[in-house]
Amino acid sequence: MSKGPRRIRRWRAAFPRLSRFALEHLLLLPLGAAIALVWVNADPESYYRFTYAMSFAVNDVAMVFFFGLMMKEVVEATAPGGVLHPWRRAWLPVIASIGATVVSALLYLRTVNALEEPALEVGWPVSFATDIAVSYFVARIIFRVHPAIPFLLLLAIASNALGFVAIALFDPTRELHLVRGALIMALALGLAFALRRARVKSFWPYLIAAGGASWWAFFWSGLHPALALVPIMPFLPHAARDPGFFVDARPSAHDALSQFEIWWRYPAQATLFFFGLVNAGVPLHALEPGTWGLPIAVLAGKPLGILVATGAALAVGLHLPHKVGWRELIVVGFTAAIGFSMGLFFCTALLPPGQLRSETSMGVLLSLAGAPLALVTARLLRVGRFGR
Amino acid sequence: MTLAKRRISPVLIVAAALASASLLAQPASLPNRSGSVKFAAIGDNGTGDRPQYEVAQQMATVHATFPFDLVIMLGDNMYGGQSPADFVRKFEQPYAPLLSAGVKFQASIGNHDRPEQVSYKPYNMNGQRYYTYVRGQVRFFALDSNLLDRKQLEWIDGALRDAREDWKICYFHHPLYSNASRHGSSVDLRVLLEPIFLKYGVNVVFSGHDHVYERLKPQKGIYYFVSGAAGQLRKGNMEPSEQTAAAFDQDQSFMVVEVAGSELFFQSISRAGRTVDSGVIRRQTRVSE
Repeated sequence: MSKGPRRIRRWRAAFPRLSRFALEHLLLLPLGAAIALVWVNADPESYYRFTYAMSFAVNDVAMVFFFGLMMKEVVEATAPGGVLHPWRRAWLPVIASIGATVVSALLYLRTVNALEEPALEVGWPVSFATDIAVSYFVARIIFRVHPAIPFLLLLAIASNALGFVAIALFDPTRELHLVRGALIMALALGLAFALRRARVKSFWPYLIAAGGASWWAFFWSGLHPALALVPIMPFLPHAARDPGFFVDARPSAHDALSQFEIWWRYPAQATLFFFGLVNAGVPLHALEPGTWGLPIAVLAGKPLGILVATGAALAVGLHLPHKVGWRELIVVGFTAAIGFSMGLFFCTALLPPGQLRSETSMGVLLSLAGAPLALVTARLLRVGRFGR
Repeated sequence: MTLAKRRISPVLIVAAALASASLLAQPASLPNRSGSVKFAAIGDNGTGDRPQYEVAQQMATVHATFPFDLVIMLGDNMYGGQSPADFVRKFEQPYAPLLSAGVKFQASIGNHDRPEQVSYKPYNMNGQRYYTYVRGQVRFFALDSNLLDRKQLEWIDGALRDAREDWKICYFHHPLYSNASRHGSSVDLRVLLEPIFLKYGVNVVFSGHDHVYERLKPQKGIYYFVSGAAGQLRKGNMEPSEQTAAAFDQDQSFMVVEVAGSELFFQSISRAGRTVDSGVIRRQTRVSE
């Protein structure tokens, strides 16, 4: 056999088997972002007219299905038999996520001030973001099947959850009406519960009735409505066994969660393309040194914070997962630094159009450097596939 | 050198400096009418360095003959540290002659400013990121172009709609139009603000951010000035286009403006006291008038 096909097969084997959704997340979102970068720097006026017209439909409505699909993965993975079950093992990654986010945020605040752009301080919650799909993909390349993977996933989920809380509490421009929102949310959860009790197997009633009420609850409370399906997804009936994180549902699967995935994965992919297109357009002339604040903060802060917090957790008696040591944690830290889709989402949720959003968005794109850094570090530290 | 010479020379130096300053500082070529609205505009000023002090001195010199009682600040009011000592060194000391003469400063916020500046009393922002006030027949609108959120857009829409004064002047940090090569136009903000400005007949807009002076030809009937060189300077950064009416990027500068009836007179003055641009704008006729 010639060297060419063998090399291709080896290259293919290096990549984990992921769902089409995850793979296309890795293609369509960057494609949208790349087009946005070219467009905004070539003809900014038409770009902004387009994005302002589209942003509500994409960010506040269509992204509901993206977060719904992400939540679906979490619901399955944390159910009995799932890769993240039982929740007991989440303690250490959750503590590590607190370290990762706190250290990143502190570093961010220090860095933007050192770079003489204190107005960027308001963007600190963006430093919490971890792109679950991209970081999972990079981690699978490095670790293949390894206990570091669920550790990373739980860490990423917890970091993003903390980010959502931070945005809700510290958004400088948003007014919260939590009582009104809580009342509507109670109605939404009540509907979802009733549907579950009535053993409704189609996802549509959950989506339209409970999801619709939940969207209004988020919207009226001043929180980002893209999260509308996050509290509803756990009510959808799911299969007894988790097929694996980001593994496609079988076409024959009849449970509501799998049906939801089969129905919505392609619209969600289109959404991701438009999400990149609408939110990643950064005029390069708008950038100032403060742009470096975010990548510096997350690329240094995530590994450092994970190490510090894990060290503290071990000191009080918690244990690292089997085969996960300090070297693996450093690599996980670089992987978790990749903000991308979640970082861009936090940017748009937190910052209105203008220079601060542009600089922070570019900082999020630069955090993709976490991927090569993780690979190089893994190789240097002989971690995962690079181990002896 | 003799003892006598040593005693005399500092006096001579000061006298020569004063003489040269008075020669260089041309009196403002504005009509200086009584009852008119007179103000100065500075942007990107708070470096605490010598050029800022020299521009401030030039402003004080102009103030002696053209007694403006208002300075609009176009953002980046302070660079680097922003401790109480910095507020003294980068604001209170350089502008002490103006402050002691009762000149009121009304600031807007730039990307180098800490958000807490809105509560610094001498900036007269009263804790607000964006606000409006009136001088004679001129209504000023100071905006926060760092965070141009929906609430602020609704506010400016309503404030402009309700304004009954003859002149509507907006100012904020990021320029909607600029031909400086470092930053240039903030098109993302322009797409949001320009329709509102056009709808309610804004007359003139002042911004900073680019460390140059530029006067633009009226854009859709609105006059735009970039005056972001009252402390910082990006020498040679202008790339004039067909939009540019006048530009200056060789030295620090500030503006003085006089609104008298239906005319707005402006003058841009360099750190050395040279008038780099001046002219008059006739109030635009609105569709409703």
